[in-house]
Amino acid sequence: MQQEVVLALLAKEPSHGYQLRARLRQALGPLGDAMNAGQVYVTLTRLEKAGLVTSEPSPGLPDRPDRKVYELTPTGQQRVTDWLAEVGWPGPAPAEFHLKLVAAASARLADPLTIVDVQRRELFRRLRDAQRAAMDEPDGSDAGLLLEGLVLRLQADLRWLEACERHWTGRKEPR
Amino acid sequence: MSETADTVVLRTRELRKTYGSQAALVRAVDGIELDVASGETVAVMGPSGCGKSTLLHLLGGLDRPTGGEIWLAGRRVDRMSEKALARMRRDAVGFVFQAFHLMDELTAVENVELPALLDGRPPRAARRRAAGLLERVGLADRAGFLPAALSGGQRQRVAIARALANEPLVVLADEPTGNLDSAATVEVLRLFEDLHVAGQTLVIVTHDSRIAATADRMISMRDGAFIDETRLTGGTSGNLAGLAGLEG
Amino acid sequence: MGKVLLICRLAARDLRRRPAQACLLLLVIMAATATLTLGLALRGVASQPYERTRAATNGPDVVATIGTSGQQLSAQVRALLGTPGVTGHGGPYPVASAVVRAGSRTAVAVAEGRDPVPAPVDQPALTQGRWVRPGGVVIERAFADALGVSAGDRITLNGRPFSVAGIAVTAASPPYPDFCEAGCYFSVGNAPGAVTNPPSGLGLIWLTQADARALATGPLAYVLNLTLANPAGAQALATRYDNARAHTDKPVLTSWQDLRAADAFMAQDAQRILMAGSWVLGVLAVATVAVLVAGRMAERTRRVGLLKAVGGTPGLVAAVLLAENLVLALAAAGAGLGAGWLAAPLLTSPGAGLAGTPGAPSLTLPDAGLVVAVALAVALAATLVPAIRAARTSTVSALADAARAPRRRAWVTAASAWLPVPLLLGTRLAARRPRRAALGAASIAVTVTGIVAVLAYHAHAGQQSDAGSGGLPNPLLGHDQQILFVVTAVLGALAGLNAIVTAWATVLDARHSSALARALGATPQQVSAGISVAQVLPALPGAVAGIPLGIGLFAVASSDGG
Repeated sequence: MQQEVVLALLAKEPSHGYQLRARLRQALGPLGDAMNAGQVYVTLTRLEKAGLVTSEPSPGLPDRPDRKVYELTPTGQQRVTDWLAEVGWPGPAPAEFHLKLVAAASARLADPLTIVDVQRRELFRRLRDAQRAAMDEPDGSDAGLLLEGLVLRLQADLRWLEACERHWTGRKEPR
Repeated sequence: MSETADTVVLRTRELRKTYGSQAALVRAVDGIELDVASGETVAVMGPSGCGKSTLLHLLGGLDRPTGGEIWLAGRRVDRMSEKALARMRRDAVGFVFQAFHLMDELTAVENVELPALLDGRPPRAARRRAAGLLERVGLADRAGFLPAALSGGQRQRVAIARALANEPLVVLADEPTGNLDSAATVEVLRLFEDLHVAGQTLVIVTHDSRIAATADRMISMRDGAFIDETRLTGGTSGNLAGLAGLEG
Repeated sequence: MGKVLLICRLAARDLRRRPAQACLLLLVIMAATATLTLGLALRGVASQPYERTRAATNGPDVVATIGTSGQQLSAQVRALLGTPGVTGHGGPYPVASAVVRAGSRTAVAVAEGRDPVPAPVDQPALTQGRWVRPGGVVIERAFADALGVSAGDRITLNGRPFSVAGIAVTAASPPYPDFCEAGCYFSVGNAPGAVTNPPSGLGLIWLTQADARALATGPLAYVLNLTLANPAGAQALATRYDNARAHTDKPVLTSWQDLRAADAFMAQDAQRILMAGSWVLGVLAVATVAVLVAGRMAERTRRVGLLKAVGGTPGLVAAVLLAENLVLALAAAGAGLGAGWLAAPLLTSPGAGLAGTPGAPSLTLPDAGLVVAVALAVALAATLVPAIRAARTSTVSALADAARAPRRRAWVTAASAWLPVPLLLGTRLAARRPRRAALGAASIAVTVTGIVAVLAYHAHAGQQSDAGSGGLPNPLLGHDQQILFVVTAVLGALAGLNAIVTAWATVLDARHSSALARALGATPQQVSAGISVAQVLPALPGAVAGIPLGIGLFAVASSDGG
């Protein structure tokens, strides 16, 4: 769980642990359901250690992580501002997969085409699931938007895999 | 998804379509063997020029094969006369085109009732059914609009409603989202999912993986022949959250 | 039921979308049908008034013209009256020739002496004034029109003054100027004898018997009117008498059927013109409609593909294509019938000599049916080939919206490369659609044929009127020219429509290629010149072919009787 995400969720107002979790689940939809419950609290503890948030037990409630009230420190505030201004993006192509194919071909460990096909099949199944989930979301929901992004990325990956297939087929049949 | 029923709606054996003469022979469709069960959705994917559109035209009786057999609900299609083919296109097959192909001078509901009128149904019954189909695709309020006044996605939905007019055995779709933007694509996607759930047999030719992902079976085609088949039903793929980068 | 509704709906929508083209089609077919209607209407004109005149004047079944007098006359009259079947008679009346002068006009007439008392057979029906009296003459109506006199005017016969007591019509002889059309007996100061070359333009005047005898400058002839128990046998009787004649001084018999035919003959010319004109217009109409229909084929092809893809049989597809045009043809037939019916009275004036009011000419139901059939045939002929071709096109290619791609003609491409740019563009454009070029050539050929035939007629008529009738206007000739003028005007209009339609189709077809040419550097003037060339090129051979065709048409049309 990215630390900056949790920090940002606290920027609006101090919240209980369980409130944070609820907000996350609302934003992520079904993906949030599958999330590990403890993740949030682990992250909060780390942030507290790093001095970006402070916590206080709620009056009259047991001293448990989900009942504590968390709040941003000034450093934490600054961190959020910086994070919002960043423009980084996850890497464009799976370099790992590419190297897998190259290695398999040169060392004759496996047929690259088979690897590509297997991966394609898997991505198709994932695409199907993501698509289903996206369509189940009501129109205009935030979670629906996230799922749409997922679907489109998978589509792009599948197109690259098609290109891989064409490339490695051509390699196999020298003209 | 549950396994499909075991009646075969569409079957081809050694299907062939060639153009041109000896020196410049083009094998658009080269020995296709296909079985489509009732209620199944089959997607055919391939690069442009691989013959998938030609295959669909052959299946729908819009073109005649050079060789091989096509069986539709137990009747042989490749040997039928033009008139019998026309009847078949009315009753047994619904076609959805990439370019929609609606009649520009007819309103949406008139377009949808066209196959019913061709079949000789009484006009009132045809109109009722057309209105019902338009409601099913979510365009009941646009029934009196001309195609020029509809968006691309709406036009394609009208076309899909038209394909369903005579309760066809199979709906054949040729690049149904080829001319649509992503929002319209989603509309059509939803429709195809609904049809699938309702038990309609679908054969979709597409190069859009989103459409293909709605199918039970996905067949890859190249140079007129099937090269691969993927069964997409059965089990989920696992952790979606991981895909979204939420782990770790 | 649903299919019929569908066809109607598609046809109606399509017509509404392109009203201008629908109007053009309507006008084109209407031109042909209106002319045909006129021709058919005129066919009935002459015979009807003859029947009426015959009934009104108690016309004779047989008219006998006798060239003897005195005893021989009595003997012949007795013989005639004694012929079996003869039930009644009028006369014999003396007949003299006279030179008539009325104002500035002079003519030659036959003067028949009559009693003031009405005759039992052939009492001419008065349209003006009163019957003969001493010093008062009655003039036959067409002759009076040509002379320009009416009741109360004064004329001279052989120098003697007379007053015009009245104007009348008769069924015993054809009206001016065809008095001698059914055979007549004429003498001017010569020995009596059958005349081989009666001058045209002979008129008929009635006066008292005394006046007639006083007028005669030579021997008199006599006219005897007979009625038969069986009028249908009149022709047989006349023929028998004719065959039995050994000498020329026996009577000449004319049956009422011959008289009626002579009357009808007058209208024949006009009718022939109209029929020939209708054929020409019909062919031109077919060509124009064919170009119109072909011009819209590209758009139609896609609709055809769609209908077939959705399950329309080839028959249905053809029906949709034909329905529009057939409906328009029906409307055009109706409009043409109406227009022709309204215009016909304006052209039926040479009934003037007969007691027919220029009222509604007769249009029987079979005639109307013929006009409708012709209109439908025109539309069908022009639409059938494209309809069949469209119905047989493979559905897939029809959907792909390929208008029938022009066939490549390598020789045209190679040859035109040598020509200047406008000619190059024009030749290639014309070669793209050879069928339309052929239709254009045919249209021009037909138009030129019509024009040449008209010119030939005028030349011929000019010769005829020079061998004239003493300077009097020939009502027939003028009337024929009137009709010819109408036909020529309609031909001109139709040719104009054809040119417009061809031009439109050419421009439509050339849109893409001319835009391409402009993009590649041709100037707009070159492109326009090219499009013009594309139309002119096929017109040239058409025009050349039209000249002999026109002469031939005139020869054929005037060969039945001259």
